[in-house]
Amino acid sequence: MNILEILFFALSALAIISAVMVLISKNPIHSVLWLILVFFAISGHYILLNAQFLAIVNIIVYAGAIMVLFLFVMMLMNVKKDKEPQKQLWVKLTGVIAGGSFLTLLIALVKQNTSFQGRDVLLKDGSIGLIHPLGQALFTDFVVPFEISSVLFLSAMVGAVIIGKK
Amino acid sequence: MNAIIVSTLLGVIMMFCSWGIKSQKTQHTIALVGLFVLILSNLAQLNGWYVIDFDTKGMLAFTRYGLYINTLFFLITFIYIWLNGEEIAKFDNQAADFYALFFFILCGASILTSFDNLLMLFIGIEILSIPLYILTGADKKNLFSNEAALKYFLMGSFSTGILLLGITFIYGATGSFHLVEPILRPSDGLPQEQMILSAGLLLVFAAMNFKVSAAPFHFWTPDVYDGAPTVFTSFMATIVKAAGFIAFITIFNSQAKALGYTWILVLSFVIISTLLVGNIVAVFQRSVKRMLAYSSIAQAGFMLFALYGKSSFAQEGIILYSVVYSLATIGIFGVLIKMKENSFEAFNGLAKTKPLLAFVTTIFLFSLAGIPLTGGFFAKYYMLNSLYAAGAGLWLIIIAILFAAVSVFYYFKLVQAMYFTSGEPSMHEVPKKYTYTLLLIAILLLILGAFPSVVFNYLYF
Repeated sequence: MNILEILFFALSALAIISAVMVLISKNPIHSVLWLILVFFAISGHYILLNAQFLAIVNIIVYAGAIMVLFLFVMMLMNVKKDKEPQKQLWVKLTGVIAGGSFLTLLIALVKQNTSFQGRDVLLKDGSIGLIHPLGQALFTDFVVPFEISSVLFLSAMVGAVIIGKK
Repeated sequence: MNAIIVSTLLGVIMMFCSWGIKSQKTQHTIALVGLFVLILSNLAQLNGWYVIDFDTKGMLAFTRYGLYINTLFFLITFIYIWLNGEEIAKFDNQAADFYALFFFILCGASILTSFDNLLMLFIGIEILSIPLYILTGADKKNLFSNEAALKYFLMGSFSTGILLLGITFIYGATGSFHLVEPILRPSDGLPQEQMILSAGLLLVFAAMNFKVSAAPFHFWTPDVYDGAPTVFTSFMATIVKAAGFIAFITIFNSQAKALGYTWILVLSFVIISTLLVGNIVAVFQRSVKRMLAYSSIAQAGFMLFALYGKSSFAQEGIILYSVVYSLATIGIFGVLIKMKENSFEAFNGLAKTKPLLAFVTTIFLFSLAGIPLTGGFFAKYYMLNSLYAAGAGLWLIIIAILFAAVSVFYYFKLVQAMYFTSGEPSMHEVPKKYTYTLLLIAILLLILGAFPSVVFNYLYF
């Protein structure tokens, strides 16, 4: 086992355990804090995949900005843990069955693909995840979706104005 | 490209109109003129004139088919805004913002008619749905509208997540986002990537089913259509749904081969459950708006036939069905807007007090039910024919016809209320212009019932 594999398994374990904790903690604030840990673990995975820029952006945007927003909303709404609505048993059961089938599908996919097993990520060039190649890809091959996504943000902004107006 | 650029620009212009121009009438006129410009620019591209022309690197592919559908969408939106201008203006003095959102939705729709890459599919679908979440919650003081918007937003984001997961799998299997003929076929003895491609396609299939409200992913539809302001429901159920279907067909016409026999099984299951849920539940509704929501699920079941296999009937049929269904739905919602309540009883005795309005409503209902002499008949005929041309089993066609017969029952309940039940309809005042616009839509439906090919003849010349 080399250092990469040890890091991979450690980060994966951290991500899975904190993701489970997000779901089972009774206090919503704790859930959000665990979610931050999930994002950090995923950022670690990005670094292992040589996507440094993505890792940093993930921490700044998700673990930073969005989680702070989450916490603000939680505190503004003053969510109490005893107020959490209880789901009926059959709803829980349906969820378990649906999620379980999907998990089975994913595990089967990975198990069937013997070509996936025991293979490291392809790293052609160490600079692949840096800003320079990323910018080049965004402004040459992917310029159309990059520019058109501005329409998406514009419509979201108009929407925010409409909802926010008195 | 023209349509995408011009519709975005018009959206921005409408945004500035919201604080520059206070008169609702002027805003309405600007929106109509804008739509006219949009139609012209799209027709210009159809004839080879571009605003800008550059290599999209395989992101967008402009075909005659897609551009022509764009034109039809814009024309239907024109009729919709022409009809509903006053109603849109009723919401807190911000009609221009709503028009801006309409233009952004049209931008999303024109991406969905011309995408050639799964990235563009994702962006198109998002541009289409984010304005919709807002339009659903436009009636801010109404709790039902708030609930519907929140529900739609949460479920819509979840389904987008599933779409993205599917796209990721497809990328993992093929190494590209492009929508080419699948390299991997089941006949090649199931290579390992095939499994991942199939899983990805099935996830995309589920997400697209959600967007077009096909059962078993339809649970949001009745609540959202019922909670949203009726004007916006009418837009949501027509142009947006049709655009979703065009995207749906574009993906699966090229990719369904990768799924092999599974595809027929899965699609048949979705078609039958959609027809079943839509038609049977619609029979038991007490509110006309909710009945129309379920009927729109049932109509989605018919539109799904175009996915069964690639044929000229499917290509032409989906255009005809979109146009006819959109016109009839805009019409029937147009009548419903003028009612004080949404129950069937509100329509009692409409034929006595407003015979013309009752007549056009009957035409819309006939068209939705697929009675001959209205456009709906030929729309359903083309869809059934596409099923036959694709080599579907006769049992599927028979089931479809049976459910079409069931749909006649709940549409005719409304006709019965108007013509054979005495009572006083509780209506807002209906201006003359409004009735005549509805009459125009009804005449269009009758013309399509006599000469359905006028819609798609233009595809070939």
